[in-house]
Amino acid sequence: MNQDIVNKVAQTLVDAGSTFLQDKKDAYRKAIETETNPHAKWVLETILENAAAAEKNKSPLCDDTGIPHVVLDVGKNAVITGEMLESVQEGIRQGLRTLPGRPMAVKGDDAQRLSQSEGLFEDPGALASAPFLIRQTDADKTLAHILMFGGGPAIRAKTNRVFHQHSTQVVINEIIDWAKESTKLLGCTPCTLAVGIGRSHYEASSYMLQALVDGNYHEQSEMEAFITQEVNKAQVGPLGLGGNHTVLATFMKVGPQRASGVRVVCLRPCCCFEPRIATVEL
Amino acid sequence: MKIITTPFSEEVIADLKVGDRVLINGYIYCGRDAVLPKICQLIQENTLEQYGIDLQGSVIFHTAVSPAGIGPTSSNKYEIENSFIPLSKAGVKMHLGKGAIGKDTIAGIANENAVFAVTPPVTALFKDNSSECELVAFPELGMEAFYRIKVKNVPAIIAAAKNESIY
Repeated sequence: MNQDIVNKVAQTLVDAGSTFLQDKKDAYRKAIETETNPHAKWVLETILENAAAAEKNKSPLCDDTGIPHVVLDVGKNAVITGEMLESVQEGIRQGLRTLPGRPMAVKGDDAQRLSQSEGLFEDPGALASAPFLIRQTDADKTLAHILMFGGGPAIRAKTNRVFHQHSTQVVINEIIDWAKESTKLLGCTPCTLAVGIGRSHYEASSYMLQALVDGNYHEQSEMEAFITQEVNKAQVGPLGLGGNHTVLATFMKVGPQRASGVRVVCLRPCCCFEPRIATVEL
Repeated sequence: MKIITTPFSEEVIADLKVGDRVLINGYIYCGRDAVLPKICQLIQENTLEQYGIDLQGSVIFHTAVSPAGIGPTSSNKYEIENSFIPLSKAGVKMHLGKGAIGKDTIAGIANENAVFAVTPPVTALFKDNSSECELVAFPELGMEAFYRIKVKNVPAIIAAAKNESIY
């Protein structure tokens, strides 16, 4: 076990679960300045106040502390060993105990876990991470991005095929329709829309995850800005109470596409705290 | 902003309308998907008293209770929303959570002079505003058991009252 990696990863998980990145704080401040609905403005201010308290106390932003998802960016000349991956897993376990994460690992065999009939582990560290995603980069270092995925967005997320009819706009309009439907039900708006488009369900989900790693509230592509603008026209607003800020931003990643009439789209309407993300060099 | 303290009287609830902002104080119950159907079962069996549960004038906060803190889950989940009307008939005056609920639920709680309020998922702020956590019933459900906690100035907006909704 590499104790240095264990410690770094544990601290990074705590940061992911408790701290807004600067671009997210800026996005909230901008939304507060421009929001005209008083209820919506109050919700936005309260969420930012909560973020300040969580960062100060290094305590969870939300009681649904989420399922850890890990993206490793491995440099051209960097080496990843089995021991390093084991150390990352141990760091996650220790980070979940420190945060503390919600003790929500489900006990039992396959059938028992599905029905939740055997109850839950009391140890927050018993919560397994999702399978790691590994990307190649040109840098001579290895970065670990840790993201915490809550349950509300998982209920409202959708991965499905879109028949594009050789029109980008058809695909974008489908995403907008899905987002309008899901943000109405999410409850924890304003959200950040994470979108991945690929050739299979696995690939689309993978690009959705990468979109959250690479996305930035200060940098929006034309397509991302258009999706945000159109979904905001629905006026769902923060906490569903109306207002101009249903969505703060859209983070979208378009992968290679299949030579066919089908695109596979994954949309996750991330809650008001997501992406809960922090990054560390291993 | 109205400051209200549990147990709520009929008059306090009758005075609330959609869009009112409130600060909730006093003891409140916490429960969600797993435990609320069990509480409804206790109501049917008339056995609430055996567990020391008094729902008259009470608040049910749709949340888990764990070392990670508390925070609203979606109130429109099947088991939770189905509990609104039976709980209101048994004396619950405020259902506290998040998300839009159905028309039948809105009408059903209005018939019992109960309201639905939503609160931002601000766990770090709740941490400073809550104390005296007591496990009341169904400990086998862990964080999804039925709890009673004491809160101070928990912020909320009335989302459904008098058969009207903010959504």
